[in-house]
Amino acid sequence: MAGFAGITTEQDSGPQAAGTMAATATRLTKLYGEGNTQVVALDAVDIGFEAGKLTAIMGPSGSGKSTLLHCVAGLDSVTDGEVRVGDTLISDLSDQELTLLRRDRMGFIFQAFNLVPNLTAEENILLPLLLGGREPDPEWQKRVIDSLGLDERLHHRPDELSGGQQQRVAVARALMSRPAIIYADEPTGNLDTNSGQEVLGFLRRAVDDWGQTVVMVTHDPGAASHADLVVFLRDGQLVGRLEKPTPDLVLDRIRALEA
Amino acid sequence: MNPVLLLGRRNLASSRLRVGLTGLAVMAGVAFVVASFVLSDGLRATFNQIVEDVSADIDATVRATGDFAEVTFQAQTIDEGVLDIVSAVDSVEEALPALTSSKIVPIDGNGEAIETLGPPILAANQQDSPTSAVMLEEGELPDGPGEFAIDFTSAGTYGFEISQSYDIVGVEGREPFTLVGTTRFGEDNALAGAVLMTFTLDEVQRLDGNDGKINSIDVTAESGVSPDELIADLEAALPAGLEAVGSDVIVDEGQEDFGATVDIFGNVLLAFALVSVFVSTFIIANTFNILLGQRIRQLALIRALGASRRQVLLAALLEAFIVGVIASVIGLAVGVGLAYGLRAIMNSFGFNLPGLELVISARTIMTALAVGIGVSLASALTPSRRAARVPPVAAMREGYRYGSGEGTRRTIIAIILAVPGVTGIAVSLFGSIDSTPLLLLLLGGGAVLVFISVTMFAPLFSTPSARFLGAPLERLPWLGITGHMARENSSSDNKRTARTAAGLMIGLALIAMATVVASSLKDSYRSTLGSTLTADFLISPPNGGTGFSTELVDAVAALPELDPVSSTRLGNIRVNGNEHDVRATDLALLTNLWDLEVISGDPATNAGPDVVSIHESVANDLNLAVGDELDIEFAATGTKTFTVNAIYENAFLISNYLIDKSAWDQNFSLNEDISIVASVAEGVEIEAAASALDELNAAFPQLNFETGAEYSDRLEGQLDSLVIVINVFLGLAILIAFLGIANTMALSVLERTREIGLMRAVGMTRRQTRAMIRWEAAVVSLFGALLGVVVGLVFGWVAVQAIAIDQFAIPVSSLVLYVLVATLAGLIAASFPARRASRLNVLDAIHQL
Ligand SMILES: Nc1ncnc2c1ncn2[C@@H]1O[C@H](COP(=O)(O)OP(=O)(O)OP(=O)(O)O)[C@@H](O)[C@H]1O
Ligand SMILES: [Mg+2]
Repeated sequence: MAGFAGITTEQDSGPQAAGTMAATATRLTKLYGEGNTQVVALDAVDIGFEAGKLTAIMGPSGSGKSTLLHCVAGLDSVTDGEVRVGDTLISDLSDQELTLLRRDRMGFIFQAFNLVPNLTAEENILLPLLLGGREPDPEWQKRVIDSLGLDERLHHRPDELSGGQQQRVAVARALMSRPAIIYADEPTGNLDTNSGQEVLGFLRRAVDDWGQTVVMVTHDPGAASHADLVVFLRDGQLVGRLEKPTPDLVLDRIRALEA
Repeated sequence: MNPVLLLGRRNLASSRLRVGLTGLAVMAGVAFVVASFVLSDGLRATFNQIVEDVSADIDATVRATGDFAEVTFQAQTIDEGVLDIVSAVDSVEEALPALTSSKIVPIDGNGEAIETLGPPILAANQQDSPTSAVMLEEGELPDGPGEFAIDFTSAGTYGFEISQSYDIVGVEGREPFTLVGTTRFGEDNALAGAVLMTFTLDEVQRLDGNDGKINSIDVTAESGVSPDELIADLEAALPAGLEAVGSDVIVDEGQEDFGATVDIFGNVLLAFALVSVFVSTFIIANTFNILLGQRIRQLALIRALGASRRQVLLAALLEAFIVGVIASVIGLAVGVGLAYGLRAIMNSFGFNLPGLELVISARTIMTALAVGIGVSLASALTPSRRAARVPPVAAMREGYRYGSGEGTRRTIIAIILAVPGVTGIAVSLFGSIDSTPLLLLLLGGGAVLVFISVTMFAPLFSTPSARFLGAPLERLPWLGITGHMARENSSSDNKRTARTAAGLMIGLALIAMATVVASSLKDSYRSTLGSTLTADFLISPPNGGTGFSTELVDAVAALPELDPVSSTRLGNIRVNGNEHDVRATDLALLTNLWDLEVISGDPATNAGPDVVSIHESVANDLNLAVGDELDIEFAATGTKTFTVNAIYENAFLISNYLIDKSAWDQNFSLNEDISIVASVAEGVEIEAAASALDELNAAFPQLNFETGAEYSDRLEGQLDSLVIVINVFLGLAILIAFLGIANTMALSVLERTREIGLMRAVGMTRRQTRAMIRWEAAVVSLFGALLGVVVGLVFGWVAVQAIAIDQFAIPVSSLVLYVLVATLAGLIAASFPARRASRLNVLDAIHQL
């Protein structure tokens, strides 16, 4: 797969997209508001997320990272352009179809408030499967839970877990249904460095060991360096990409973009 | 402006929907109270006007004096001859006789004796004078034999048409009459569901079996004679036992009579209204709790910035005050509308209430404001104090559990409240309190305290109960995890579950109590009647009211299929200065027809004009034994001495004093039976006896010819209707309870916005979201309903003991039905919040922090 870009930018868009794309956006535009209060959150963005890779999205505050993530996850409607998850064109889907798509083919990790307070950790992990009335695969379940070190905590409620444990539960939930793609919006934003590293490690292993596709928004160059590819957003436009990132390279790139 | 007050106002403005829902509950309670006042004030004003109109042209009325009536339900009569004495008085311009009977029943075009829902069927003589209160509406007034008129409302209701022939049943049986016209009673024909027929005086006397008798004489004075002079002249001319009173006395008496009826009606309505107010108090308290709970961060922040506890408390109370004022004002307006609505509903049930005079008294306005503001403030007090206790650090700390805390303190308060509550109920029911207001205060106050106490206890078991009740949700395959979440949510906050269920608990407790008492009464009635009535047939008038010809019993006795046969009569006597009911019957036959459970003596011993059988309670009170003498005073003949010949234990359906018909004939002027009991003669099939009676029934179609079982069935049917009416009125309180459930669910949806958004993000469909909210409400409703039924059973048991019903029946199927309906209604009440939850914008929900 080496040599294939994890993303496609405006400059090199075209028929070259050969690596399987878990999700793609074409000329994705998102406007908020109307008239003179209108904000262009995304400006004709072309991007694809390659299957089996961890892609990080970076950019200054307000650059449109979360908006991009929400649009490709089917959480938000797009103003213009197309979004595909696998072969499915999601801009045409009804709320019900989108919900089922999210439930069965996507995983989510949010910055905070990831878990349903009245459910135990285990129930939270199984929530998407249970919502779909599907039986969890016990072997897979054990592997996920073991690898996240959660077996001691399964019957605890979220308010009895530390922030790091809560995020690990969220990771486990995202992995449980073996989704086509996992979206994570600043998954380590609320965690201390150690817990953050742990969570990133799990995501990385999920990609390496299980071929999982992950798209992650982050502010933290250290976190971004776990990715296979970092893309940079500014003012709603893609302004750069970086393969095989290290913290220093990411920092340099950010400085360059800010200049 | 004080920043805390400013904040209070802003909070109100920003949570308009929530506050609106809260205000709705206050408003509904206020509206019900206002409606009960407006309705009773309006009815009283209307009736007062009617009474004045009816007597407007009369200067005086001549009638019998008498400090106690001969027969309970019959106005006293005087001789028609008095009319000549009165007419002969110089100052009299016109003297008109008046006689009203309630023993005369018309048969409608379908051959059915007409029956009202309770108001009487009256027959009066048509006075031929412009002063008469009964005026011609259409056709002609009756002025000869075989003619009658009926008020136009009843003519419409029962389908009577002018110049058609209809049978009229009098004491002698039925005979054909011609309807010559329709009439109007006063301007509005305000008969409130009663039926009014008019005949000539002779015909009323004949049909009533009261030849030569009238009730009173309406007198007008010659011009230039004052009413006082007229009365003085009349008094001078009248023989002893008669009096002349001015129309002011008649108006006062009439207004007092109507006023008493309207008061009872108004007070019953008010009682139901207060139940609604009480239920709404719980709902408002719950809402304030949740509202303030959602603002902990904000409260803590302003505390941290320097607001005192007092300021926080005042801000919260101010909010409640404003809600109370607005809700009272709206409730006042809605209440007036509701009064007219209730009148319309009652009229559609056949009550024919007259047009309402709109009276909004100062009392109504004051009460509306007091109830609305009082309820708001009272129910906001505890939540507000709790809000004031929020420590400033809660602003910084995640997971500060608002209002959680000492369950023990709550339990102690619950016990402290329960003790006077239970005592109040016990004293009022089993003690000997004569003052009705005090009794009601103790009973109502006791019940209120018990309900509050139960609500405070409920958190102790609401979580396990809701978990238990919600368990089946886990098994419903189509619900899956949704059912699990509904169960968890319904049980996760024990206090909220308890408070949300409280309103429903109260409503169902009252309904369950009414149902239990009614069915205990029915069972007891049926079994007591079964063991008491050894006769096979019972002949009685509808609604237990009016007597009938004494010739009927002879006709029944003449049938070879029936033997023995006896009848009873009902009148008033005085013993030791106190008035009592007395029954007259054939004492010699009585024990063959009726099991009195005679303790000593025998009613048949010396059966005749100078013996009396008495209930053991009389024997105990007056210290009498068989053979002792007892003085009895009669209205017509004064005091006579009787000998006690029997003492009995079972006074079911009969009086505490029994005399022989021969004694009645000597001491009462009224000659009518109130019931007939008859057994099948030996060797005769019961069907043969029944068909023999059919012919007599055709002649007296207004009477019920029934077997004991049929009689119980009919009375049970009447009791059932009463229970339905009670349930309808309690229904409003229950409606408010469901408003509370919807409100709580709406608030908890708001509270759980992020959680719901999260679940929607990870794949919960809208349908699943709705199901989750609805089933949560269903579990809470089920909990409230079951708790209510348990409390209602206890209350019902106490009531059954208190009124000494000898059976305690639990109508399982009705109660199960109520609980199911309540659960379903809870499910439906949650539809609106459920829809809101399912429509939440997923992104907004996640972003809300
Ligand atoms: N609901 C909304 N209404 C109006 N404007 C919005 C809305 N959501 C986002 N925006 C605007 O769109 C732009 C992109 O927002 P977005 O949340 O995607 O930024 P971001 O890159 O995730 O920033 P951050 O790093 O601070 O999270 C911003 O200018 C923001 O103000
Ligand atoms: Mg963002």
